Amino acid sequence: MKVIWKLADGREISGEVANGLNMMEAAVANDVPHVVGECGGNLSCATCHVYVDEAWREKTGEAGDYEDAMLDVAEAERRPESRLSCQITASPELDGLVLIVPEP
Amino acid sequence: MTVWTSTDDGRADLSSHDAFTAGPPHNTFARMRRDDPLSWTEWDGGEGFWSVTRHADILAMNGNAKVFSSARGIRMEDQSYEEYLARRTFQETDAPEHMKTRIKVAKAFSKTVIAGFEEDIRALCDEILDQALPLGTFDATKEIARQLPMRMLGRIIGTPDEDLPWLVEKGDALIANTDPDFTDHVLDKMDTDEFRMMPFNSPAGAELYEYANDLMAKKAAAGDTEGVLHLILQPGRDGETISETEFRNFFCLLVAAGNDTTRYSIAAGIQAMCHQPELLGQMRSDEAVWETAPDEIIRWATPALYFRRTATEDFEMHGKTIREGDKVLLWFASGNRDDAAFDDPFRVNLHRTPNRHMSFGQGGPHVCLGMWLARLEVRVLFQELARRIKSIEPAGPHKFLRSNFVGGIKSLPVTVEMA
Repeated sequence: MKVIWKLADGREISGEVANGLNMMEAAVANDVPHVVGECGGNLSCATCHVYVDEAWREKTGEAGDYEDAMLDVAEAERRPESRLSCQITASPELDGLVLIVPEP
Repeated sequence: MTVWTSTDDGRADLSSHDAFTAGPPHNTFARMRRDDPLSWTEWDGGEGFWSVTRHADILAMNGNAKVFSSARGIRMEDQSYEEYLARRTFQETDAPEHMKTRIKVAKAFSKTVIAGFEEDIRALCDEILDQALPLGTFDATKEIARQLPMRMLGRIIGTPDEDLPWLVEKGDALIANTDPDFTDHVLDKMDTDEFRMMPFNSPAGAELYEYANDLMAKKAAAGDTEGVLHLILQPGRDGETISETEFRNFFCLLVAAGNDTTRYSIAAGIQAMCHQPELLGQMRSDEAVWETAPDEIIRWATPALYFRRTATEDFEMHGKTIREGDKVLLWFASGNRDDAAFDDPFRVNLHRTPNRHMSFGQGGPHVCLGMWLARLEVRVLFQELARRIKSIEPAGPHKFLRSNFVGGIKSLPVTVEMA
């Protein structure tokens, strides 16, 4: 599947992501700045915070309970479209997913 | 010039605290990374253990918490289930239990909240350095490195300043329980059995328990609901609260782990400045260095030399089988010197980017809760130190802690010249 990361400076990074990888791993593999993933995708750090583009919010679903708590820990402002990208897994129905990377 | 050259013969016994008194045995780790990356050590103090020494392996196993559990202990010593329950903190739990505790306190340690302490930290650094530097020649661990985290600890847990030296002494007795300079109850040299239900088998654990109880009673009487200790006592999203034992162990964890780790990061950074004189010039002239310098200093220090995991199922690796129940030590000290992950790993490079060091246990669920505080303390301390001095030199040999668990320079004589 294809993912597009929109950066705060207007740049876009796009990458092909294998099914089953999560969006934190995908961002790190594609050198997307400000998506770090210090805890390796274990809901312990909130350093992979992204905003999901409005058009994709339904397909990516809602944050789970622990994710919801950890979103309060993220550095950038929390919004309704905030997610931890380690909790979004690549799948064919997310092909073309657009994620907005907050400026820290 | 390298900052230190290991003198071990490449065959150091990793179960022995004495093998670490001249610093981590890096020749041994280098041999293991090359020839024996999953290595078994027999140990006369308990069950033997596996050592993992390559950066990539440590990262993968640390992230694989289903197979490599924290819920059987995180040091090499064996614990009965009874001892485990009496002494555990959320460091020694797995998901989902770990998350239930962690989310209560995570916000108090978030980057944003911690950033609010910067001016406090700078004021503390002013005080500490204005006292230490005019001495000219002094022990930098004692006069600088030990001071800042100790005083910040007081701010974080809300204790009066006059209690701090006592608290830190007890914290040292806990975590440096294998060094006779820090405790009268040296773990591997005497019978500490009567304390086996206490954190780190240490009588200091009992004293800290008592202190935590008194402190919370005083806070309750005063209606004080500030700070992280109050947060940890609040019911979680499921309405559950932590037990009294877990609370006291959390308190001990903050006092011990939140304190000497940053101390030894600062000490290692100062030691590096002594042996790589160009570092001071970079700190003084290049503002951009502060983006990357704290992580490099913390990589260099690696205060937590290893954490242990326990296999929950058989696991094949490098042609060997880790059996269910085996202890597996993830040697962050070795991963942080792996030349497959770092160019010239035995040199401090303040501009190192990327810097995928593992001093905070990155890549796993137990990644250090206090990492933003540690980075901030290290940055501000070195900013203020560099601003004030024009040279720093060793004034005698430095000494490492006697511990295979905590990597730290316990005494560091230096001579400084003021700018």
